[in-house]
Amino acid sequence: MLQRETMLIGALVTALMLSSSLFAQTDEHGDDLSGVWTNFAIEASRPFQNSALRGDPPPMTAWAQERYAQAKPTFGSKSVAVVETNDPVYDCFRPGTPRIYLHPFPMEIIQTPGRVLMLFEYDHTVRQIYTDGREHRTDLAPMWMGDATGHWEGETLVVETVNFNDKTWIDREGVPHSDQLRVFERIRLDEDDNLLIDITIEDPVAFTESWTGQRRYRRVDWNIEEFACMDNVVFAEYEQEILNYDPNATQ
Amino acid sequence: MIRKIASVSCFALGLLLFVVGASAHHGGAAYDGSQTITVTGEVTKFEFINPHVLIYIAVTDESGKVVEWSGELTTPIRLARMDSGGAEKWSKDILQPGDEITLSGNPARSGAPSLRLRKVIDSHGVALIGGTN
Repeated sequence: MLQRETMLIGALVTALMLSSSLFAQTDEHGDDLSGVWTNFAIEASRPFQNSALRGDPPPMTAWAQERYAQAKPTFGSKSVAVVETNDPVYDCFRPGTPRIYLHPFPMEIIQTPGRVLMLFEYDHTVRQIYTDGREHRTDLAPMWMGDATGHWEGETLVVETVNFNDKTWIDREGVPHSDQLRVFERIRLDEDDNLLIDITIEDPVAFTESWTGQRRYRRVDWNIEEFACMDNVVFAEYEQEILNYDPNATQ
Repeated sequence: MIRKIASVSCFALGLLLFVVGASAHHGGAAYDGSQTITVTGEVTKFEFINPHVLIYIAVTDESGKVVEWSGELTTPIRLARMDSGGAEKWSKDILQPGDEITLSGNPARSGAPSLRLRKVIDSHGVALIGGTN
């Protein structure tokens, strides 16, 4: 009797290992998303395609509204000149996720076994999306771009990104988030071979409810070239000269 | 003294075919998007640099005084990729000092002789960006 139970348990363990192994294999399926992609705005989002995921501010908590009031973005209804901004990106910190999608530069997707890489031209920012079944890391400090894991559901790459710091903005219009931010993405090709990314934002500290946005990209025959953020810092001198110009001064 | 520039003319912003994209990268609060100014002069400096390309030209006003105007475009790689409606393929050599060119764009709110460029016409009358005339 004991022997039969031992055999049964052994069979169950074997079955679990097999199914786990099968899952690991199907994990690598899905469309080939590899290539260089550039923003191809969905019609309804054209007015804010370079600055926000939605046309109106998301539903913010009092915590977030307080921070939003202090933000001095260079885009949106409360935009200021570059030299007056407190946007962390102008100090060359990483833009964060999903904000990286709002910067008007292409990105390349490189699919490898167990990992999908997103190489953004903007300051050569890289996202690594692990698709090998691993859990999120909890032993490292919060990150600018977050910790991303993904899996395939049919042809769709499903990504969850967590473990963010609270120093970046969700967008380029100054909407904040907390370190409780969770970004969910469903990445797939449409019938025209465009890349669609459905984004869901959850952050109970910053938002009263979850909210969504969508990005679309088209394939381009480009290489990812260099764009160094520090060039912005140098360029700020030019912008400062314009802002400080005195039209009454004689030359 | 408020400068008068002989070749300055103003147009209402409206029927522009191409948005050059400087605002896409940085925001454009330093410029007045409701106005367009056009100036003509010789290229004194051309910087095909990140984050934004800069063109400087020497413009002579009615009294003969020379004022250096600057124009700001989008990133060089966007221009090189023809992603901004450019009629020509941009490169670091597309403009040379001494070229007589015309710049149109939104003026700086501060009154500085600086433009967020909407149109660049080269010495042959070719619109390098922003349309055909």
